[in-house]
Amino acid sequence: MPDTLTRERRCELLAAAEHDEIVPLAERLLTEGAFPRPTVVKPPEVGMVVLQVREPVEETRFYLGEVLVTECSVEVDGVPGWCMREGDDRVAALAGALLDAVAAAGLPARTDIDSLCAAIAERRAAEDAAEWADVTATTVNFEELT
Amino acid sequence: MSPVRAPGGGQEAIVAAERLVAEARFGGGSGWLELGQITERLSAAVDRVMGEGGLWAPELAARAFRQAQGDVLEAAQLLRAHRSTLPRLGITPAVSTGELRVVRRISSAFRNPPGGQILGKTMDYVGRLLDLLPEEEGRARAAQAAAAQHGPSHSHDFAHAHAHAHTHGPGPTPAHRHPHRPGQPGPEPVPVPSSAPAAPQPPGAGEVERTPAHVLAVFREMGLVAPPSGAADGDPEPCDITRQPIRPGAPRSAWLQTMARADTGSLLHLWYGSDWRPAEHEVPGELRHGALPVRVEHPHTGRPVTVAEVRVSEVQTFHSLTRESGLPTNLDVGYGICFGHNERKAISMAGLDLLLAHHEGAADLQHDVLLTLDGLDSTGYVQHLKLPHHVEYRSVIERAHAAREAAPDSGDTV
Repeated sequence: MPDTLTRERRCELLAAAEHDEIVPLAERLLTEGAFPRPTVVKPPEVGMVVLQVREPVEETRFYLGEVLVTECSVEVDGVPGWCMREGDDRVAALAGALLDAVAAAGLPARTDIDSLCAAIAERRAAEDAAEWADVTATTVNFEELT
Repeated sequence: MSPVRAPGGGQEAIVAAERLVAEARFGGGSGWLELGQITERLSAAVDRVMGEGGLWAPELAARAFRQAQGDVLEAAQLLRAHRSTLPRLGITPAVSTGELRVVRRISSAFRNPPGGQILGKTMDYVGRLLDLLPEEEGRARAAQAAAAQHGPSHSHDFAHAHAHAHTHGPGPTPAHRHPHRPGQPGPEPVPVPSSAPAAPQPPGAGEVERTPAHVLAVFREMGLVAPPSGAADGDPEPCDITRQPIRPGAPRSAWLQTMARADTGSLLHLWYGSDWRPAEHEVPGELRHGALPVRVEHPHTGRPVTVAEVRVSEVQTFHSLTRESGLPTNLDVGYGICFGHNERKAISMAGLDLLLAHHEGAADLQHDVLLTLDGLDSTGYVQHLKLPHHVEYRSVIERAHAAREAAPDSGDTV
């Protein structure tokens, strides 16, 4: 089965998924026995990452602030899975790590996971296009009075 | 300060006082205030709580704002306190703000900067009048919008928005003219600084871009702004004001972090009322609001992964301050950025950054920026004044009595 998504891109899409998008899929695959019994390497942990920014004036780096995230690590069939996502949804982070591991292990369920990722990518692209259409309607050229 | 003890019925009074607050939060005739209502309808307050709390967490900020009954500073304090209980899971690689995906971008320096001007969500160009819309009509409009969002008409709205954006008549209007697109016929407008109509025009003017280059680049191309000094300084590790005490003389990274977390009102006042400001005002060359990716290193591949997005407001402000050497050959630049949509804060921060850079080594100014802008510090000081100071006050009274008894009688009764 060709791997159409990079590991990082899959992680990004699973991190961007809604709770109701990834948790039901992880639960279904678990119930169907689509992958061996997973090991939770690092239980879902709510914490922060520091957002480091490089500003354009002097191009110095500084810490803008922190971002609330939840991180989880699992192992499926000897393959590690990882998820970090915004917010404090522990269940979704666990589901994301499971799906990442199953896909990385190349198990047949990867098809379902990649289908979900494709749907998430499509939804995000549509949201982005709709937002851009709204804001470009406010494009302006100011006239200079002479 | 005296220790707080409440014996002999005081504890009951404190519990009863807390109960009154709880009644205000949960009682009354109105329904429970949902988090979604706060994040959607009161987004400016939520953004401000996150910015001053130093933590991007919209739902927690909404929760804090609700608990604080609308007191932004109190909410920021609650969020900051919660933040102190959370582990730090990592530090992101530095993200360039050139990656900002804009939903608003304006320039007060250029009429038509490369990348275009997008007003976005703003009331800057219309009257600010109290909306006396009847409550019933407001409810009806909200219900209509919710139905449209969840119903099949959303795709129609999207298509309509597209059509509107592309098929408007060719005649420009002062407030609304559509951008020239590549491959389409039409005039090729060029950027012109409002004060320098003959200045060189960079390529690409007039095209609206999702991630436009900073206007600063135009000034640099013109040779009006000095090159960045960061790389020349060896790209030092940022100072972290949450982990180490700061004093005047702290690096630029410390004052930028301090101002990004500052109380908006204090920041505005310090800049607006500063004696360091010159007579002529600075010009925000660029103001943006948009989304910035939050990337971390993937633990198994080592490559970057976007795990979240935050919205920020960013400003670069310019001024031709005269230097001791004579006429200014370079423009001074100030930089401001903060979580959420808070343009007042970003403009104030940029103004102060400009003053800090121009008046290099001004310890008084650095002291005020580094040590007086934090809302948690200042409101904490005010809060503590309300706690019992009985022993201290009794001491003050006793000293006043003693001084009066020791003083010679001057006979002055005034």
